[in-house]
Amino acid sequence: MVACAAFVGCNDDFPGKPNPADRPLPQNEITDFATLFAQNCTGCHGADGELGPAPPLNDPLFLALIPDETLHAVIRDGRPGTPMPAFAAERGGTLSTEQVKIIAAGLKSHWPADKTEEVSDAAIVADAPPYLSSATILQLTPGATDQASTLFERACAECHSPNGAGGETGYASGGAINDRAFLALISDQALRRIIITGRHDLGMPNYAAPDGRPEDFKPLTSAEIDELVALLASWRRGDAAAGDAGK
Amino acid sequence: MYQLLRKLAHWIDARAGVSATLWPMMRHPVPRSIDGPMGWWYVFGSASMTFLLIQILTGIGLSMVYVPAADQAYESLLYLDYQQPWGWFLRSLHYYAGSGMVVMLLVHMTQVFLQGSYKYPRELTWVVGVLLLACTMGMFFTGQILRWDTDAYWGLAVGASMAGRVPVLGPEIVHTLLGGDIIGASSLSRFFALHVFIIPGALLTFLGIHLWLVLRCGISAPPKPGEIVDPKTYDATYHEELKRGVPFFGDALLKDIFFSALAVTIVVVIAAVVGPKGPTEPPDPTLAGANPRPEWPFLWLFGLLSLSPPAIETFIMLVFPVLVLGALFFVPFVSNRGERAPSRRPAAVLLVIVIYTTLGVLTYEGVQAPWSPVMDAWSGDPVPVNLVEGRTPLELQGAAVFQFKNCRNCHALEGIGGRRGPDLTTIGASLTRDQLITQISNGTPGGGNMPAYGKQMSPAEMEATVAFLISLRPDGQLPAGAVEDAPVEGTTPQPVELTE
Ligand code: HEC
Ligand code: HEC
Ligand code: HEC
Repeated sequence: MVACAAFVGCNDDFPGKPNPADRPLPQNEITDFATLFAQNCTGCHGADGELGPAPPLNDPLFLALIPDETLHAVIRDGRPGTPMPAFAAERGGTLSTEQVKIIAAGLKSHWPADKTEEVSDAAIVADAPPYLSSATILQLTPGATDQASTLFERACAECHSPNGAGGETGYASGGAINDRAFLALISDQALRRIIITGRHDLGMPNYAAPDGRPEDFKPLTSAEIDELVALLASWRRGDAAAGDAGK
Repeated sequence: MYQLLRKLAHWIDARAGVSATLWPMMRHPVPRSIDGPMGWWYVFGSASMTFLLIQILTGIGLSMVYVPAADQAYESLLYLDYQQPWGWFLRSLHYYAGSGMVVMLLVHMTQVFLQGSYKYPRELTWVVGVLLLACTMGMFFTGQILRWDTDAYWGLAVGASMAGRVPVLGPEIVHTLLGGDIIGASSLSRFFALHVFIIPGALLTFLGIHLWLVLRCGISAPPKPGEIVDPKTYDATYHEELKRGVPFFGDALLKDIFFSALAVTIVVVIAAVVGPKGPTEPPDPTLAGANPRPEWPFLWLFGLLSLSPPAIETFIMLVFPVLVLGALFFVPFVSNRGERAPSRRPAAVLLVIVIYTTLGVLTYEGVQAPWSPVMDAWSGDPVPVNLVEGRTPLELQGAAVFQFKNCRNCHALEGIGGRRGPDLTTIGASLTRDQLITQISNGTPGGGNMPAYGKQMSPAEMEATVAFLISLRPDGQLPAGAVEDAPVEGTTPQPVELTE
């Protein structure tokens, strides 16, 4: 009897006894940010939110700038026309409304701030142009095209070559960004974001960093960034005049 | 009291003739050499039977809690796992003893095959044994379905698509199996009936016949090289041998008991340490990203399927299992005479080695194959970092498109990803731009292995993907078709090492 009771008593100690905490969760009940991120996002945004083909999410400047609703909306609706898929179930995705919220909230809190080396300067975050442009239509007037080209020359050409064709002229090599297929697959918003935050994982400087830029380079303003995006957008459309403007 | 019981027993025996029938059976002699070390070869059949007994007992226990209804089955397993005292152990034991039974059956069959015990006059015993194997596999398959989780759902889907491919009768069979045209509430009841009544009924019947045949034909003596089986003389020789035989109730039985006890102990320990299998996520056909796996006895078939082009899938699913069973059936009719000793039958030994190696490799393949039936779930594996660094913006977009279009479901990068198509880590060195475009636009001609993406990708997406693929080459290697010193087409970057 005693032995029997002891045996039953040890019931809890068997390694094989399933632990309710390990109970498998149905896909749509997973609420852990890390799991959700690993299952859904790392394929494009990289294992740790950087060094993936898509723009890094593990980027303090980016996370500080992007408004909560925008972040949520991007994950929910995706960016049509780009490879960024819509994740919300009602948009044909695989995640519940709740899960989209968890990811959006988790992105902002998940990566501890010690990675901020390059942007540790709080001023960079504070002075950064807003994530969303205030201009409603990005259209270059013929006069502005020259202005934008000059700006491009100063801020980008050292790495991406004067007309954006890419090259290894500078100490850092950026590839072609005047390629129409590339431009067709990236949104204006992402272009703006890249110009603001750079790609710290691949060596592209942010809006204020002096790397590969002239001595007297001043941080780009929101309006200047609008101009640059408009310039790139005109290359996307293949406007002959604009395309050659940088030469 | 004792007297009374004895009298009762006598009374019944006198009328039913139990002891008159059983007594000779219990005392049946077996060849003398089974008493020796060779006798250890004969313990696997009885071990399978011991496991079967455990299966029946634990199965009865499980059936008391399990609810064979689609909306409650899963919950009742969770109840067993987490609430019912020892419920988890019952599940665990049922799973591992079932696995043990399959293992013992295979070892038993291999031993019988290698030692030529299936030869005259035991051909029928073998044939019934093959039926027992089929029943056991059937139990494994239907049992897995009862778990009613994602894996179960997948097993059922494959089973149904297998059955559905039977010419003419296919749809009818599927309908009967699933209790409808699709997997639904009644499917579970059907499989419950199969697992608990129909297949066990068949299994026990065949087992009865098998045992009867074993008793009737006697246990074969351990083979000696040079001792030829000849149907004309075998019976007489065997009869002579039995005259010098030893009773089964003796050393032979002790060996059986010892081995079964050992096997059961091992299984009990495994069951207690490893714990019950599953249930994994509840089934939900609408959920993407599931990565279901069949039970281990079927992994080899899964591996074979994942390796084979879809064009011969039907063949593998339908014809192959029939061929395998048929081949097993025919074993004793191919050769029921001649040498029995493995040392004189090199072809048989070689066959066993080849079969087990193949099964092993295919099983490994089945474990590896990240093949998922949900084709619009992209594989979430990151693109290897060194395939990201040093790419141009266009190539980066191409990599994103590659992920977005689920190419990764079939194509690995640096070994990670699907394996239906080739690993593309160095594809830029072997295919030219035009070849790549043709391959992606048209897929496998005639519709097969690789879908045609021509209509599903915008020109920009195609352009980007191809640029990415062209950039996938070992360090310093030129793109396929490029001439040394000629300007490299497109936006392919030169690795830094080259330009410095
Ligand atoms: C198939 C590839 C892919 C997957 C998977 C993916 N993304 Fe994206 N994502 C992209 C691309 C490409 C962009 C840039 C889109 C553009 O051009 O605007 C992007 C942009 C974003 C942006 C906006 C960034 C910016 O610079 O404005 C956010 C936020 C984002 N993704 C979050 C996620 C999250 C969270 C997940 C996982 C739930 C995810 N993505 C999964 C490809 C992907
Ligand atoms: C210090 C060098 C440098 C400068 C200056 C620079 N870039 Fe980049 N840029 C890079 C590198 C490196 C990458 C990573 C991709 C590659 O290697 O081509 C990149 C990538 C990009 C991308 C693609 C990002 C993606 O995720 O696909 C865009 C768009 C871009 N740069 C635009 C610009 C613009 C516009 C400017 C001027 C405001 C600029 N860059 C200035 C180095 C630079
Ligand atoms: C359903 C599985 C599957 C998917 C999805 C798939 N492929 Fe394939 N792919 C194959 C198979 C199988 C082959 C082997 C050649 C054949 O049978 O045509 C192949 C061959 C290739 C090849 C030629 C490889 C060589 O060594 O010759 C390329 C390149 C390729 N695929 C690219 C892609 C791209 C890009 C995508 C996504 C747009 C993709 N594949 C999606 C199965 C697939």
